[in-house]
Amino acid sequence: MVENVIEMKKAHRLLARMDYELGKVQKGYTNRTLYINLCDNTIKSKPVTQQMKDIFIGGRGFGLWYLWNAVTSETKWNDPENEIIISTGPIGGITQYPGAGKSLVVSLSPITGTVIDSNVGGYFGPLLKFSGWDALEIQGKAEKDVIIYIDGNNGYVTIEEAPEEAVDSHLAAEQFTAMYADSEEDKRNVAVVSAGRGAENTLIGLLNFSFFDLKRGVPRLKQAGRGGIGTVFRDKKIKALVVKYTGVKGDTNGPADKEKIINAGLRLHREIHDLDKVQNRMREVGTAHLTEIMNDYDLLPVMNFQYGSHPDAIKLSSDVFKKYFTQGLPDGCWYGCSMACAKAVDNFELKTGPYKGQKVCVDAAEYETIAGLGANCGIFDPEYVIEANFYCDTYGIDSISTGTLMAFVMECYERGIINKEITGGLELKFGNKEAAMELIHQMGNGYGFGRIAGQGVRRMKKIFVEEYGADPGLVNDIGMEVKGLECSQYVSKESLAQQGGYALANKGPQHDEAWLIFMDMVNKQIPTFEDKAQALYYFPMFRTWFGLNGLCKLPWNDIEPADNGLTDEPAKVPEHVRNYVDIFNGVTGKNITKEELILQSERVYNFQRIFNLKMGYGTRKYDIPPYRFMGPVTKEEYESRAERYDKQLKELGYDIEGKTVEEKIKMLREYREDQYQKLCDAVYRRKGWTPDGVPTLETVKKLGIDFPDVVELISKYQ
Amino acid sequence: MKIVKTKPELCNGCGACMTACSKVLYRVEDPKKSAIRIKEKAEKSGSYEIFVCNHCGECIPVCNTEAMYQAKNGAVRVDDKKCVGCYICVGFCPNNAMFTHPDINEPIKCIACGACTRVCPTGAIYMDEK
Amino acid sequence: MIKVNKENMEYQEGMTVEDVLQKKKYTFRMITVIVNGRVVPKDQYATYMLKDGDNVDVVHIMSGG
Repeated sequence: MVENVIEMKKAHRLLARMDYELGKVQKGYTNRTLYINLCDNTIKSKPVTQQMKDIFIGGRGFGLWYLWNAVTSETKWNDPENEIIISTGPIGGITQYPGAGKSLVVSLSPITGTVIDSNVGGYFGPLLKFSGWDALEIQGKAEKDVIIYIDGNNGYVTIEEAPEEAVDSHLAAEQFTAMYADSEEDKRNVAVVSAGRGAENTLIGLLNFSFFDLKRGVPRLKQAGRGGIGTVFRDKKIKALVVKYTGVKGDTNGPADKEKIINAGLRLHREIHDLDKVQNRMREVGTAHLTEIMNDYDLLPVMNFQYGSHPDAIKLSSDVFKKYFTQGLPDGCWYGCSMACAKAVDNFELKTGPYKGQKVCVDAAEYETIAGLGANCGIFDPEYVIEANFYCDTYGIDSISTGTLMAFVMECYERGIINKEITGGLELKFGNKEAAMELIHQMGNGYGFGRIAGQGVRRMKKIFVEEYGADPGLVNDIGMEVKGLECSQYVSKESLAQQGGYALANKGPQHDEAWLIFMDMVNKQIPTFEDKAQALYYFPMFRTWFGLNGLCKLPWNDIEPADNGLTDEPAKVPEHVRNYVDIFNGVTGKNITKEELILQSERVYNFQRIFNLKMGYGTRKYDIPPYRFMGPVTKEEYESRAERYDKQLKELGYDIEGKTVEEKIKMLREYREDQYQKLCDAVYRRKGWTPDGVPTLETVKKLGIDFPDVVELISKYQ
Repeated sequence: MKIVKTKPELCNGCGACMTACSKVLYRVEDPKKSAIRIKEKAEKSGSYEIFVCNHCGECIPVCNTEAMYQAKNGAVRVDDKKCVGCYICVGFCPNNAMFTHPDINEPIKCIACGACTRVCPTGAIYMDEK
Repeated sequence: MIKVNKENMEYQEGMTVEDVLQKKKYTFRMITVIVNGRVVPKDQYATYMLKDGDNVDVVHIMSGG
């Protein structure tokens, strides 16, 4: 390995270099952004203004602001003007509170055509900041494969042509880590961002962010998965971003009041120590604990979201995965995360593909991947899930989109919309894991039917209708995407609030804005439209805040204090909200309240909504999901929950005596689609938007985001 | 190896142990920088609890920088060069016997030197085999 | 008849909180059980007897990805 990387490094050609004065982080900020343009190899330092900090805070907020100023409403994802911005946020990089090392990535998405953001672990964001940069803003396109190297101790940045290193991430991360570390001990100070060959060949490319796992002696990979940012990365001909910073300590983030942070951190460490084993067992199995829960509550997507449970789901349960996950290791994706959910399978022997026969460490598998690649495709085989997870990651393709598009393809195959001729011989029936694995390789390597599948559900719908004569009504009803983004892995059919949680989300149907199914469908705590609208106001605002600050969502409510159930609003986890207020104030020296925390998010959230508008979306019609998000499309789906649906229709006053299933589906659909529209009305009102879903002038003024171009844009829609 | 053992019922709360400890570890006389802590029981004044590390080693595997290690003499120690000050070890200590101070990036932890036992006037702490 | 999360459930003599959780397949661990407005401690689920007409709320804390 070492000799190899010496040779590889010799093949680099320096294109540009900038020396800079090392910065110092003060109260969570370095007050500088590193700007790079790959068209002309510009490298420069830009100031982070007080206005940026006041309005956009950091992380995703900074990304949105830079991108807004870089693109016009005409810009396409593969234009050189498009950018990739990476920033953690003021809290990002503290070591005392679990989940505080996230990087936020923003770009124009190849699949949605508008702005996308993705939240990812690994060491890059914090080490970038400690090297002197609050954000990295990359514009332009290189001619040949390049890397960007940031040396945070010696103070220089280079752009180098790098022809010889691997593109696939498990190798790229290993090679670049070895290349830039001075010794084995030094490897933890190097962080790599890379994609993979699949990011070149599909529109759902992802970015892998590495962190070096000292116990395993390998770089681990965390994914900025959603929306195809890896595809933009490879289109810019970036092979890797590498940062090196040695010397992370407890005060490197320059906190104003460290004691506040320490106290909040110790409270949470103790909670996790005492309670995780009787709550979600994140330390043992990570998010994999959700599979059996979702199955029990009829929420696990099975066979393209047709059903919510399956008798074989037990084969994908956390007890099964626990046997594969090496136990007892400190699996945090940034220092100080005692939740330690980044589980891995060691010495996994690959059975297929270009790395067949090799033994690898797989960062696998999280709930979304298990549900998406497994249950949603009717495949109940943990080893298939691990192998598919490995290839999705190393090829640089999003496993959530892959699961949802694979499930769509399989249903189309089963319903005769596509056939063997179209798939090039692949028998893509539910449960056919060999065909599914082959399709992943085709997507990764860009051949056969994989070239079509890799374009995502929205484009496949169009192709199936236009080229293969599919019934547009049916494919539109069953293709699980909104705004062009494939749905993440929860069945929202019986929860109106979650239909909104998905379809109203700024970036598309990802549950990171709101996961309300238990509150709505199980607890029945939010019965009225106003209740649901309030939940769809509060939770997206609260959760947006994690992305402004470099935080992970999981330590907020995947662990709860023992007495949380006795508080006024257990769903908000009030004690943890207090922790977040404390750590924000502890880092920045400000004195915000929990209400101001929501206000910080509200500014950025509305700005992102308006960004969608700028790109030609962002109105009501783009918030309407396919019917399968809302209810049963097909006879089989209706019949699988006939008792529930019949009862609902009767309660609503429908006369269902002697009616056929088709007639009942129609009645239910009429009702549910109307309910969804009413939900939108209530949510828009609550958020201070027009009936078409555009923030009002009054709202943007109140929030202080009434920049001239914002006002000009939304004025047309008032 | 010998570690600090306790007989809390003999403790008079004078705090000499804490001063001695902080002097060894950080060259200051500051009980807040001591690796041994005396706390008066809330329910019974004049009665004390003593918190000090028993070198059980449960903190070693929870550390993801490999900063916690067992030294040759058997004591569990912190390698300051590797430590990033996350304090997971402090939160996960089964005996609440590791401490923090905002001026000190690493956890404050007993090194089994015995300095505290030498200044204890009552014999409430003493060195004995683990 | 008892109410569980606002829906009717047949009352059976001697039924406990634990029985209700099993019947409803409420397997999620992060729940708070409230009977007629009072929280039932976790360690009493198996022994807490319900009466006919009781109003049971099983509040699941949000989770998800």
